[in-house]
Amino acid sequence: MTKREEEVGSWIRGDETAAEMLSRVSTLRPFSLPPPLHRVPLRVGNVLEIVGPSPSAKTHLLIQAAITCILPKHYGGFDHLSLFIDLDSRFDITRFSQILINRIRTLQGEADHDNNTLFNSCMSRFLYVRCSNSLQFLQTLKTLDQRLKKEKEVHGVGVHLLMIDSIGAFHWVDRGSMFLSLRENNRKKLFLQSVSEAVVQDIKKLLQVHPILVIATKSVIYGYRYSTATTEVKGSFMKDNWEDRCARNATRSHHHFQHREYMPSVWQSFVTHRIVLRLSDDHPVTSNSHCSSFYLLEWLLPRLSFKEKIIVNDAGVFVDS
Amino acid sequence: MAPLKSLEKEYPIIDSNFQSFCASHAIFSVEDFLLHDLDALIAFADNNRTCSHTLKQGIDQLLSIIDSQQPPLLNGLQLLEDANLNKHILPTGFEGIDALLGGGLYEGQLTELVGPSSSGKTQACLLSASTVAKQKSSVIYLDTSNSFSPQHIAHLVGLSSGYVFDKQDDHRPLQEVMDRIICYSVFDLYQMFDVLHQLKINLKSQIFQSDRHVRLLIIDSISSLITPILGGNGPQGHAMMISAGILLKELAHEHNLAVLVTNHVVGGEGGTSKPALGESWKSVPHVRLLLSHDCGSNVCNISILKHPSMASGRAASCIMCSFDEQCR
Repeated sequence: MTKREEEVGSWIRGDETAAEMLSRVSTLRPFSLPPPLHRVPLRVGNVLEIVGPSPSAKTHLLIQAAITCILPKHYGGFDHLSLFIDLDSRFDITRFSQILINRIRTLQGEADHDNNTLFNSCMSRFLYVRCSNSLQFLQTLKTLDQRLKKEKEVHGVGVHLLMIDSIGAFHWVDRGSMFLSLRENNRKKLFLQSVSEAVVQDIKKLLQVHPILVIATKSVIYGYRYSTATTEVKGSFMKDNWEDRCARNATRSHHHFQHREYMPSVWQSFVTHRIVLRLSDDHPVTSNSHCSSFYLLEWLLPRLSFKEKIIVNDAGVFVDS
Repeated sequence: MAPLKSLEKEYPIIDSNFQSFCASHAIFSVEDFLLHDLDALIAFADNNRTCSHTLKQGIDQLLSIIDSQQPPLLNGLQLLEDANLNKHILPTGFEGIDALLGGGLYEGQLTELVGPSSSGKTQACLLSASTVAKQKSSVIYLDTSNSFSPQHIAHLVGLSSGYVFDKQDDHRPLQEVMDRIICYSVFDLYQMFDVLHQLKINLKSQIFQSDRHVRLLIIDSISSLITPILGGNGPQGHAMMISAGILLKELAHEHNLAVLVTNHVVGGEGGTSKPALGESWKSVPHVRLLLSHDCGSNVCNISILKHPSMASGRAASCIMCSFDEQCR
């Protein structure tokens, strides 16, 4: 903390060199993540949430962002570390390396023999940890500050990107266990609530010390509903009516899907940017469409009026033009 | 999670004084400590005039205990090395699946077969079991609906390797293959947890012989175990479903098993059918394959619903002979 105060002091005195200023400004400048995340500039300290059903290329977007973060500056990257916290236990490193190789090839050209050292240095800047329950996740967050400092010493650069895949992974388990803990003793409030509060608190503390952009995915666990039909209809006698209304709304406002929020409000208010992904129904029937998937990407926070169609194929994620 | 009291023996700094300090902040266990705001706790320790130093040492001690319990941060190279060394591809012997997935089932991954009844799910499971067992590896087979058929397996083993069964004198190779398939009849989720926890202990203590290395775990069908506990308003059913998924993925990752489960289909909106177990389960498996079987023909269609690196919708079809036909 004192180091930062000194930095501020020297800045006020105005005896900062141009190089110092450049290095200070460049860490705070908005990121320009590659498409399809390029529409809204993001800064360190922001929390981007990517919402979508499974599969909807959420993890692919994370991989894409991670690769941008670890690539050297002259390849259009940030030249920093990235950390992937895997709560879903589904991360596939071979897929990651495949996309990285593709990216290096398109940037550098096939013939270059230096590919391997670049690949290795990039891979070593990608950090990974897996957690299989909420308490392990909290353990990781509580000790992350020290670990990130150690990594910074080893690599000379710090972590710029923290990815969480996916934030709601333990939602059901935590909801199930809150009843147990309530029955045993009344000294804690709802377990789910306290976990989320602790998670947000720990990430906030981390953000104060490290300049990090947070990207978290959240899978849809309740299925889509239509936003215009917000009233809860319970009881079977109303059911026909309800389906009727859904059908009518489906034709009228087909594109107004809404996902049902299940994360506690402390997390919701922590999120600064939000993207929603969904399957695209109408994809062009081309000769090679059998080996690519199509999804629609929409910015909810800040709300942008247009939707982007994205393609996932062997080489990675791209915007469909 | 350990109560703080139990740590006192090993770490004398966590003494009764420190424990009573923590208890005054409603911290009785490491779990409570994790949920607590650390900065606030340190601030309280600072304000304590008599022993702020030892209290802070206690907090640091707890943090280092937590740190030592944590797996280390791995980098991409280490992950890739582990994948290349330990995560092999197991051919299933089912042409369509092997062709579609680029060789077969991946160790470390959870693969799900979805399909209506008689679409070939159990066939695929039995065939995979016999194929893997022939490669000097063990298979754990959890059968939930009495559909495991040793005769069928014996037949599949004989069919593809050309063993001649008519001769009485040479049953040993078949016997060995059959020995490597360990079948459990499991009829509810609790039994499944029992079997899996026991398996985990066995794998950890490595009681399996070298030619009995377990590489494949099959649950046919997982949906028949989970469906009865879902429903109702409580979250317990879903909690157990997700816990089962986490346990399966943990087994797959730590002990390099390929896990194969089957799931049935239910009617969705608009008369279409969709995989059972709902939205939450969707994010559990690595790979989802949809099997379908045209009426009256023996062609089995397989398409990818979900895969970490392949586009969904890719499809293949292959000819699947029924048991009766093979016997003729």
